[in-house]
Amino acid sequence: MKTISGVLLILTLGTAPAWAVLGEYESSVSLDQKYMRGEDLVITAQGYRLHQITSPNGAVVTEFVSPEGKVFGVSWRAAFMPNMDQLLGSYITPVQQAAQAQTRRRGGPFIVRTNDFVFVSGGHMRAFHGSAYVPSLLPKSVSAEVVR
Amino acid sequence: MTPKNSGHAASMVRLLSVLSMLTVLAGCGGGGGGGAGTTPPVSNPTPSITSLSPASAPVGAAAQTLTITGTGFISSSTVTFNGTAQTATYVSSTQLTIQLTASDQATAGSFGVVVTNPSPGGGASNSVDFKVGGVNNTISLGVNLGPTNDYVNGLFASVEVCEPGSTTNCATVPDVLVDTGSTGLRLLSGAVSGITLPPVTDSSGNDVQECIQFISMAYIWGPVVQADIHLAGESASAASIHIISESPQYPAPASCVPTSSAQDFNSLSALGANGILGVANFAQDCGSGCAAASNGYPYYFSCPNGNCQITSVPTTSTNGQVWNPVALFPQDNNGVLIALPSVAAGGAPTASGSLIFGIGTETNNALGTAQAYAVTDQAYFTTTYSGTQYSGSFVDSGSNAYYFLDSATLGNLDCADNTGWYCPNSPLSFTVTNTGTNGTTGSVTFSIENADSLFNTGYAAFNDLGGDSGTSTATDYFDFGVPFFFGRNVFVGIGGQTVTGVSNAPYGFWAF
Repeated sequence: MKTISGVLLILTLGTAPAWAVLGEYESSVSLDQKYMRGEDLVITAQGYRLHQITSPNGAVVTEFVSPEGKVFGVSWRAAFMPNMDQLLGSYITPVQQAAQAQTRRRGGPFIVRTNDFVFVSGGHMRAFHGSAYVPSLLPKSVSAEVVR
Repeated sequence: MTPKNSGHAASMVRLLSVLSMLTVLAGCGGGGGGGAGTTPPVSNPTPSITSLSPASAPVGAAAQTLTITGTGFISSSTVTFNGTAQTATYVSSTQLTIQLTASDQATAGSFGVVVTNPSPGGGASNSVDFKVGGVNNTISLGVNLGPTNDYVNGLFASVEVCEPGSTTNCATVPDVLVDTGSTGLRLLSGAVSGITLPPVTDSSGNDVQECIQFISMAYIWGPVVQADIHLAGESASAASIHIISESPQYPAPASCVPTSSAQDFNSLSALGANGILGVANFAQDCGSGCAAASNGYPYYFSCPNGNCQITSVPTTSTNGQVWNPVALFPQDNNGVLIALPSVAAGGAPTASGSLIFGIGTETNNALGTAQAYAVTDQAYFTTTYSGTQYSGSFVDSGSNAYYFLDSATLGNLDCADNTGWYCPNSPLSFTVTNTGTNGTTGSVTFSIENADSLFNTGYAAFNDLGGDSGTSTATDYFDFGVPFFFGRNVFVGIGGQTVTGVSNAPYGFWAF
C-alpha cells in the first residue's frame, strides 16, 4: 500500500516553485511528503483516494484526491500546526483575510467559509487538528464529511 | 544545652529527672525492702510543649520525624497525635520525637500534639497544633471586558513574578487570562519590564526562545526566562516562563508561523490580556517531543548569530520547558479548581469567582460530588450528542463560548450581525453525555441564546453563548468554554499527579 513516486518527486522539486496542494493535482502530494519526511500511505475509498502522510514525530496530514486527480480536501492532526501556505496553496488567502476579521470569538475553533472553500482549525495546545476542502472539487456522491 | 542557658525551670526538670531515675532504680532494687514506705513519693513533672518542628506540612507529605520541644519530658512520657497514641522517642528532658506517617498528613487540618507523663504527679501538657495544609491557595478571578475593553467571557487574574530568590524585585501583572486549554505562564514583555529575569539556556548555552501557535493562525514569540511565580500563598521557584516579546530581538522562525502572513499576538491589543496563565492537564507545555530537536516540534528555538533553529529543551523544571506553575508548587500541586457563580440568562455586566490550587488537599478544594472524567494523552474526552460521539471534546476556560456543531446542522442559527455565533430566536436547550477514558459518564444540559442580543447588552459575562465549531457533523468535538464554568465547580487534574479518590487517570482529568 505504501507508494513513493521518486521520479515524480525529483521532477517536481526541480521545476515547480509552488508548494500548492489543495486544489492542485495529486503530484503535489509528494512535495508534502518530502517536506514532512513522512510515510505516505495511499488508501482507496469509495469514489476517492487519500494519502495519509505520517511523520516520525507523529504529525499526520491527509490529502483527499478525486478520481480526476485533484486534491479536494486536506486534514491535519499534530502537536503543532503544519505549514498552511504549503497545504492550502492559493486558498490561504481567504484564511488570512478571515484571521484579520474575527470578532469576539476567542480561543475557540477558527472557521473560514467562502462560496467555494471551507476551513476549520481546532483543538488545543499540544493537540491541533483541522481540515479544509473545496466543495466544487468534491467527487460526485462523496460527502464533505470524509475530509477529517 | 549549657547550664548558663538553662533557666530555673529547666534545672528543676533535670533535678526531677534525676529523682525520677532514682525512683526507677529504687523500684528495681527495692525487692520488698521496708524502706519503700518511708521514702517520700516522688512526683513526675507536668510536661509542657513550646514548639513543634516542623510546625506544619503540605497535604500528602511523606513520612517524617516530628520533633517536640518543651520541658518536663521523661523517658516514660507518652505522646498523642490527633488523640491517637504514638510511639515517642525520648531524646532529653526538653525533646521528644514521634514518627508521622504519610496517612497522618493525608488530609488538611490542625492536629493536636499532647505529651503526658504518668503519675505520680505528671499529667498532660498543653496541646499544640500540627497543621497539615492551610496555605492560602486561592486567587480571585474576574470575568470582565479586560484591558482592551472588548473581551467577552474573559477570565482574568493577577499574577506576581519575581527575580529568582528575590522578594523585592517583583512585578504584579493584572489581567492575565486564566486558560485551562494551555500550559504555562506567558507574560507580555511590557508587563515585566521593571525586573530582570535570567534566561533559560539550551545545552549549547544559547538563550531559549519560544513560539506558541494559536488555532486562529496567530502566534506569540519571545524568550523563555526564569522567575519565581507567586499565586496567593503558593510559589513556584525559578520556574521557566515565556515572555511575549513586544519588540522581538529576532523575527519568529518560519517553521512556527502557521502561514507567512500570520498575525502575531505579541501585543496587548491583539492578545486582549497581559498574558496567559495556562493550567491545563499537562505538566509541561510541550513534553517529551521537544526534548529532542530532531523531532522537529516548532516550540523551542535558539538563535545563535540570529539564525533561529529548533533546539532541544528538557522536560525538567529547572532550566527546562515551560511548566504548568501549579505542578511546581511544593503543595496543592495536583490541579486546580475554578469556581464561578451562576450567571442568569441575558448575561451579567461582570462576574467574579476563585481559582483554587490543589484538589482534595485543603478544606476548600474537596471534589465533593464532582465526577472525574479522565482524559486521553491529548487531554480529550468523549461527548455524545443525538447519538453521535465526539471524541475530541475538552473544557477550556480560554474559549469564550460553547463551540460545537455548526449552524447548518442545527437548522440555521446564523446571526444577522455576528459571524460564527449562534442566534436562535428563542433559547435552545442541549443535553449531551460526557464519557471519560475511565468510564465515568454523566450528562450536561446547557442553553444557547441569541448572540446578537447578548452582545448588544455590552456585558462581559454570558452563560448562554454559543458558536459554530466546524464544517458539519464531521467536526469531532464539543469545546466547553467559559459559560460551562458558570455555576459549577470545575476541577482540572494534572496528569501524573495523585488525587485522592481518582484512579485510572494517567493523563489527568476534568471533574464537575
